[in-house]
Amino acid sequence: MAIVLNETSEVKNVLENMYKFLWRHKEYINRLNVFPVPDGDTGLNMTLTIQGALAKLPDYSDGSISPGEFFKVFANEMLLNSRGCSGVILSLYGQGVSQILVNNDFSKASVYKALERGYKNAWDGTENPQEGTILTLMCELKEKYGELMEKEEDPGLIIVKCIPHLREVLKKTPEMLPELKQAGVVDAGGAGFIIILEGIEREISYKQPNSNVVPVSILLNTTKTIRKLIQRSSTNIKYSQLGALFTHVGTERVHNVKLRNIINDFQLLSVNILNRSKKESSKKAILKDLKEVEASWNPTIKYRYCTEFVLQSSEKISKEKMKQLIGDYGDSLIIINSNGTFKVHIHTNKPDSVFSDVSRYGELAFTKVDDMKKQHRNFISHDTIEYVKERSIFCIVSGEGFKRILEDLGADDIFCYGRKKPSVEQLVKAINQLKTKNIIAAPDDKDILMSLKYAASLSKSNVHIVESQNVISLISMLLGASNEMNINNMSFTNKLNDIRYCGISRAIRKTAAEDGLMVKKGDFFTMYEGKITHSGKVLTELLFKSIESLALHDKLVTLYTGLPAKRDQNLLPELEEEFSDLEFEEYYGGQYQFHYYITFE
Amino acid sequence: MKKEILVIASDNIGLGFKQIDYPDIEYLQFPIIINEQEFRESETYTARWLIEKYTKENIVARTTSIVKGDLIEIVEKNKDKYDLIVHVVMSSIMSAACFAIAEDVKKTYENIIPIINIDTRQVIAGVGVILLRIIDFIKENKDPDEIISLSKEIVDTTCSYLVIPDLKYLYKGGRIGKAKALMGSALRIIPLVGLLGDDDSGLITPVGKGRTFKQVNSLLISIIKDKLKEYSIEKAKIINIVSMDDNPEAVADLKEKLENSVPCEKIITGEPHLVGSVYLGPKSYNLSISYK
Repeated sequence: MAIVLNETSEVKNVLENMYKFLWRHKEYINRLNVFPVPDGDTGLNMTLTIQGALAKLPDYSDGSISPGEFFKVFANEMLLNSRGCSGVILSLYGQGVSQILVNNDFSKASVYKALERGYKNAWDGTENPQEGTILTLMCELKEKYGELMEKEEDPGLIIVKCIPHLREVLKKTPEMLPELKQAGVVDAGGAGFIIILEGIEREISYKQPNSNVVPVSILLNTTKTIRKLIQRSSTNIKYSQLGALFTHVGTERVHNVKLRNIINDFQLLSVNILNRSKKESSKKAILKDLKEVEASWNPTIKYRYCTEFVLQSSEKISKEKMKQLIGDYGDSLIIINSNGTFKVHIHTNKPDSVFSDVSRYGELAFTKVDDMKKQHRNFISHDTIEYVKERSIFCIVSGEGFKRILEDLGADDIFCYGRKKPSVEQLVKAINQLKTKNIIAAPDDKDILMSLKYAASLSKSNVHIVESQNVISLISMLLGASNEMNINNMSFTNKLNDIRYCGISRAIRKTAAEDGLMVKKGDFFTMYEGKITHSGKVLTELLFKSIESLALHDKLVTLYTGLPAKRDQNLLPELEEEFSDLEFEEYYGGQYQFHYYITFE
Repeated sequence: MKKEILVIASDNIGLGFKQIDYPDIEYLQFPIIINEQEFRESETYTARWLIEKYTKENIVARTTSIVKGDLIEIVEKNKDKYDLIVHVVMSSIMSAACFAIAEDVKKTYENIIPIINIDTRQVIAGVGVILLRIIDFIKENKDPDEIISLSKEIVDTTCSYLVIPDLKYLYKGGRIGKAKALMGSALRIIPLVGLLGDDDSGLITPVGKGRTFKQVNSLLISIIKDKLKEYSIEKAKIINIVSMDDNPEAVADLKEKLENSVPCEKIITGEPHLVGSVYLGPKSYNLSISYK
């Protein structure tokens, strides 16, 4: 059976199907993840790396470039879109492979060279590369391919025939890396790599891999229960309900080797075939194993933030210089440099310092900070969230009208809380419901900031809080979020105060303004830059007066009508007549407290 | 020996023909279709005429590709007078048909006269600035291979920014690309879209948005300044601004901001053509810049 890679569209098809296959199995990979820290998102990172690259691919269906060149473009995009350690290593591999395949030679010898180059590129590009990881699988693929190419002609088929061998190698990864052995799992990146190859195999054979893996939370609960049973030494274990269950449970579907061994040892212990001294030593051994498993899933995270950035460097700086610049900030450093564009991954406690240091050498086109402690908490919890999105701009607003306006301006998700400010619990629920890994959260009221910060700390996503004070600042911010670049580097969040505005509301009690202006209960007043500037008994008169004094060199005045003024007359014709040199627009904002927000632009 | 070179361009260049200082040039006209009737630019049928029609009537206009017969006629007429033809073609992504016709004609004449087709990956003023750069290369007596490689460089570093208050014209013409994301906002916005030389997709892409033309102009200036920084260059080569002449205040504001804050060797105010106005619509304007 031959894989024919002579058409660009066929290559694209294979890549897309491989991606879909990987997407369906990302959770399986996530649950294996223990290395370098158990952040539980290896599957997601690998998937997003390929997803990002596919999304950026231009349409070459006209055959304007060769399949080899197409793969090169794909590999470059993978590099720029890579996420996490595994994603970066995978993209390094892709880059190496593409350096050979760009010549459009898909012969078996050329594919061998490509696999060799891919492995070398990935190994050389990784700081402190280790065996027992995805790198081992990459090496073994090259080795096995070299062995099989003596007997087979078709490179696609040779790769497919390498898969069983790679599965065997994967099973051995715990022997190569103590962290894996301790946790009783195989390497997640390596498993992901095989799934990618299986995705290609599926193109030929439509074979499905087994993806059942016990979630970590169940694994940890099981270990706790077994410990309790063992420590209750006075009674016969097998006579308790749980003891009876564990005594008879089949372990063939428990994929975690360590846990399977513990259950088997426990079963042996509970059937009373051991003598007293052997029983005691067996108990001790099981307790030791339990401790090891639990410790491996509750590690000390030295560097909390998985930090990545893309720097478009205007100055000529070397990879070595970049390493010197930020190497001391943390570990797991991977630096890729391609034509002045640096893609960097580092685990650090000071992501802002890293960004600040490198931004002296160019423009940050992309930044990402994942809180690994939070990710780990999600990973080991009973209600683990399966992220479906990488990023969301999440606005929290009161008015229904503003909800629509902000949605149209590019907010991905909106929580409309209505009249009563949201509780921490409501916010945590709203954030978790987004199923999004990185959330940029911005409220329409400064009084919500405190509860939002608390909610963010309790939520399972990385939440970056924008300290917005009001709904107009959200409009201003989203107007600045106009292209991928300023969303990726978060520069749009600096645009909060670009629009001048005032609000008109009604006093619920007698108030004195800073300059001595008295506002009686029931009167209307204008708030501008946090101060009461005007007041009056008649709303329309106050509105005209406010516009007259606040529209300075502006062209456009926009009225956002609140709920209290919903049924009021349409003021635009009168305003246009009164202020003929200004343009007016009116929208329904639906805010509860202010009759009008008026912006001046 | 110096080669005699004929340049072929079209009328979608965002420049007045008198603004091009090169005698050996021929222009193709793009036909436009309104209500199944074909129009070509003339003294009557101008960009202003179409913009007025858009404002007063609810019409839908579209363009078609260049006519192969027109191109053959030009080549046929000139094949014995010149050693080489350089055809500066609009973006092959925006019009695959135009580039295919150009390539087809090149093949037809391959044993008669060499033709270089330059895919500008641009439209309107963007084609114009690349055309001016290529003419400079020809005047500097660059050989054909140099012209090809230098053209590739300037294509990659030329960007067009289009301020289009109403994207429906672009949408109806099927040219909206990724800029569709800016459509249908509850709040009226003025979209800033771009055709960026360094964007491999070659599609119209959202660049920014504002509520007033002044805001959009400021944003555009900051984008250009960032790009100059990214390319590590002090001065851009050429800027061409084309408007439909119905939004003088906004265009004057843009020019003022440009002159005050963007270093550039040459800033040109181009002229609109009928074909260029089809997808832009009223109050729109286009700034194209060749950075390097």
